[in-house]
Amino acid sequence: MSSLSATIQDVFNEPGCGKNANKSEAERKKGCTKQLQPGGAAGGCAFDGAKIALQPLTDVAHLVHGPIACEGNSWDNRGAASSGPSIWRTGFTTDINETDVVFGGEKRLYKAIKEIIEKYDPPAVFVYQTCVPAMTGDDINAVCKAASAKFGKPCIPVNSPGFVGPKNLGNKLAGEALLEHVIGTVEPEFTTPYDLNIIGEYNLSGELWQVKPLFDELGIRISACISGDGRYNEVASSHRARAAMMVCSKAMINVARKMEERYGIPFFEGSFYGIQDSSDSLREIARLLVERGAPPDLLERTEAVIAREEAKAWAAIEPFKKRLTGKKVLLITGGVKSWSVVAALQEAGMELVGTSVKKSTKEDKERIKELMGQDAHMIDDMAPREMYKMLKDAKADIMLSGGKSQFVALKAAMPWLDINQERSHAYMGYIGMVKLVEEIDKAIYNPMWEQLRKRAPWEKANSNWQAKAIAQAEAEAAVLAADPVAAEAARRAKKICFCKSVDLGTIEDAIKAHGLTDVAGVRQHTNASGGCGACAVRVEDVLAQTNAPANLLQAAE
Amino acid sequence: MTQSAEHVLDHFELFRGPEYQQMLANKKKMFENPRDPAEVERVREWAKTPEYREKNFAREALTVNPAKACQPLGAVFVAVGFEGTMPFVHGSQGCVAYYRSHLSRHFKEPSSCVSSSMTEDAAVFGGLNNMIDGLANTYNMYKPKMIAVSTTCMAEVIGDDLNAFIKTSKEKGSVPAEYDVPFAHTPAFVGSHITGYDNALKGIIEHFWDGKAGTAPKLERQPNEKINFIGGFDGYTVGNLREIKRIFKMMGIDYTILGDNENVFDTPTDGEFRMYAGGTTLEDAANAIHAKATISMQQYCTEKTLPVIGNHGQEVVAFNHPVGVTGTDAFIMALSRITGKEIPEELALERGRLVDAIADSSAHIHGKKFAIYGDPDLCLGLASFLLELGAEPTHVLATNGSKQWAEKVQEVFDASPFGKNCHVYPGKDLWHMRSLLFTEPVDFLIGNTYGKYLERDTGTPLIRIGFPIFDRHHKHRYPVWGYQGGLNVLVTILDKIFDEIDRNTNVPAKSDYSFDIIR
Repeated sequence: MSSLSATIQDVFNEPGCGKNANKSEAERKKGCTKQLQPGGAAGGCAFDGAKIALQPLTDVAHLVHGPIACEGNSWDNRGAASSGPSIWRTGFTTDINETDVVFGGEKRLYKAIKEIIEKYDPPAVFVYQTCVPAMTGDDINAVCKAASAKFGKPCIPVNSPGFVGPKNLGNKLAGEALLEHVIGTVEPEFTTPYDLNIIGEYNLSGELWQVKPLFDELGIRISACISGDGRYNEVASSHRARAAMMVCSKAMINVARKMEERYGIPFFEGSFYGIQDSSDSLREIARLLVERGAPPDLLERTEAVIAREEAKAWAAIEPFKKRLTGKKVLLITGGVKSWSVVAALQEAGMELVGTSVKKSTKEDKERIKELMGQDAHMIDDMAPREMYKMLKDAKADIMLSGGKSQFVALKAAMPWLDINQERSHAYMGYIGMVKLVEEIDKAIYNPMWEQLRKRAPWEKANSNWQAKAIAQAEAEAAVLAADPVAAEAARRAKKICFCKSVDLGTIEDAIKAHGLTDVAGVRQHTNASGGCGACAVRVEDVLAQTNAPANLLQAAE
Repeated sequence: MTQSAEHVLDHFELFRGPEYQQMLANKKKMFENPRDPAEVERVREWAKTPEYREKNFAREALTVNPAKACQPLGAVFVAVGFEGTMPFVHGSQGCVAYYRSHLSRHFKEPSSCVSSSMTEDAAVFGGLNNMIDGLANTYNMYKPKMIAVSTTCMAEVIGDDLNAFIKTSKEKGSVPAEYDVPFAHTPAFVGSHITGYDNALKGIIEHFWDGKAGTAPKLERQPNEKINFIGGFDGYTVGNLREIKRIFKMMGIDYTILGDNENVFDTPTDGEFRMYAGGTTLEDAANAIHAKATISMQQYCTEKTLPVIGNHGQEVVAFNHPVGVTGTDAFIMALSRITGKEIPEELALERGRLVDAIADSSAHIHGKKFAIYGDPDLCLGLASFLLELGAEPTHVLATNGSKQWAEKVQEVFDASPFGKNCHVYPGKDLWHMRSLLFTEPVDFLIGNTYGKYLERDTGTPLIRIGFPIFDRHHKHRYPVWGYQGGLNVLVTILDKIFDEIDRNTNVPAKSDYSFDIIR
């Protein structure tokens, strides 16, 4: 059994990750996750990441070892759906107190496991480590081992205390726990040539079920979904599947890759968001299964299903065209697969603003992906009035985003649709896209927006906050123009590359000093875009602006 | 499981016991001429069809499950809004017991009201003696500052002349000559409780302003800066008037509430019984003539009163029970325009908060269909608010709604893209509504307590807004007017929507994959 820090190092050194492969040795060691900025509005912790990754396993008891904070705030907070068991929604915690902190909480943990097994008898107990017992030295691995031996029931330690890093790391550590303690521990009752693992899919709002009928029709058996609507025994015996689909997210890439390594299960990265993506994924699944020995007619059958489902979906979107043509969508989101919905939006006649992407070829999609990811970071750091100006300048009719930006959109009086995990509609698969277009239509035509944009009838024109925000932004720009010192400070304060913390001033100076013309040159001189590389687009913008002839700049202004 | 003194069962459980079930079954079998259950079922289903609806709407004489009450109820309601006033209903006492129980059951407060207790001989010879004795007894037993007289049908049919009767009573010494006894004729065979409210308020105003039935000089109007406010017949009067007073105070407006029911329907439990509590003082009622303007929150509760006030030289403004942002905006703007007072920042904040709340949750209401029934003004206010939220008030029905009212509702529909498929039903009853709910189903029904039968029969979830609400407590304490009131209505609607979502997703291991804690 490896130590926690060794596991983390191992996770960071993920060969399956393209970005990781491009890094230098030193960078790799530092890890791939952005260090959280003290004082910043923070996202979740590693514990949270591990919990949300495993919580959708519906028939196991999830026991959080720690003070009430950790389970108290996270109990049943995700809309993952179960087709049967409900024990995953029961909040189990050791709720440790001062005595446990002083004398150790291992005994309490052991007893808690015992009580769960006696009272609920789940197929397994997942035990989550949290900051406090990790610091006081409770060894959950040892407790789980003892409990497993004593009660004859798998007790799985999930060693991902909050302080080790952000949510994303927790996802991976959860994957490690599955790899180490669960996967491959049970032999399946039977296997078929059509057995497929789906990794990194959480069945939020039951959206996997929108695709599952297609699998059923094709005779493809989901041997395990990790972890949406998952069952312990399915995951434990998932090593006998023929192929795996890693749902478009790097969250559990370690699971997919190591299962390939250990059990020879090939995987591909795919998504069911968007019509094209759904078709691509179905094709890829069929191809992999046939490669691994499934009868080749699966390919034809899959094509037939794709053709039928696509036609049905486009036909269903057709009626919305009249209402949606020419409407502008601003896509702003971080982890969500929003880029995949672009084709559906365009098919419904909508226009994308805020990105330079007009078509959705595969390469373009990559580009949107980067843009979206980066914009989400930008929004975190953006003052509300700047945000408002951006939305206003984009002249968008609706903003698609994750829950975080919801309130900004509301304050900016812009129709908004949530496509992140707290949503109540399922957007996956062909039906999902139709649902999304329907929801966009509903959101745009909600009369509330009109209400929201209207001033109170007694308010004088130009005294509402929107007008004030624009005026203030303009005033600030004017101050900067008149005051070289402040302008310099502003230039230094505006970050372009978040990974390497490189500001606009540094890049501009480097471009001027060295006559740089491309991103590679800027990277060489300033280290900007030397991290995740997503800011390359913005560096290009800076290059274009800085190198533009002065008279052209003035004309543009 | 018979009843025992050790463990007394209430009716929920008692009659489910085998011996009672047996008894009921026998009774049905032997004495009730039971029909073939299949035939009963067939008729039940038939009553849900468009064919039945057509017959139902062709009804000419019969009213089934009316959504209105009678004039004196409104008269009693407005009378107790005046200081130390005892409502005196001239006619049969049974009617009066109804008003008292109706108001008590809704407000969960004692309701004081007396009757002249007319009997058969009074019906033949006229009720003068009942009036004379009744006024004397009321005056001596309950020591009111004013007795407000209205009538039941009985007195109206025989044509008792209240003006003459009261005059005679005073001559006979029932009450002092200068004692205030305003009156109104309020027959139940005309209009409804909102008409009675209107008539009784008009009677009180004319009494004070126009020379107390010839016993005093008419008042001379000397305009001041005050404004008068009339709430109309309102099941939310306690919360609403508190909210309105708060708004007036915030804006620095000097006001008189005509018919101030706030306290009489919300007396504290502190060991003292208050037969009278709060109310518009008689002095204020008289001085209201000098006000700059009078605002009525419910046009159809003040159709006769407002012209009388207007004829005395004031500006009069009527609203239709404004609910929500746009409606409240119009009300606040009118206040500001009439009084010249600035709208305070605090109100602007409250407005912003309501808009914010609507924005946060309107996605759940947008696109939903509603049926509404109730008093005409309430229907208008709620329909406007629903349209503002992007919902469709598909059926709007008022048994006491007039043709003009229907036109006004139609105008509201026409002004919104969401009103396209909505219809208004003046003069129809809840049995008509039943057919509507079966043949053109909606997502939710808004109405008073009686809507629970429609909810049960048609499966349309009932959102209780209106009067009377007997089976839920204390709703009358929360305003539905003002931006705060809009918020309350929004939350009431949302609560039901979320309850429904939960109710439809709560079967373990069957539908509870959507039984989420976050909505």
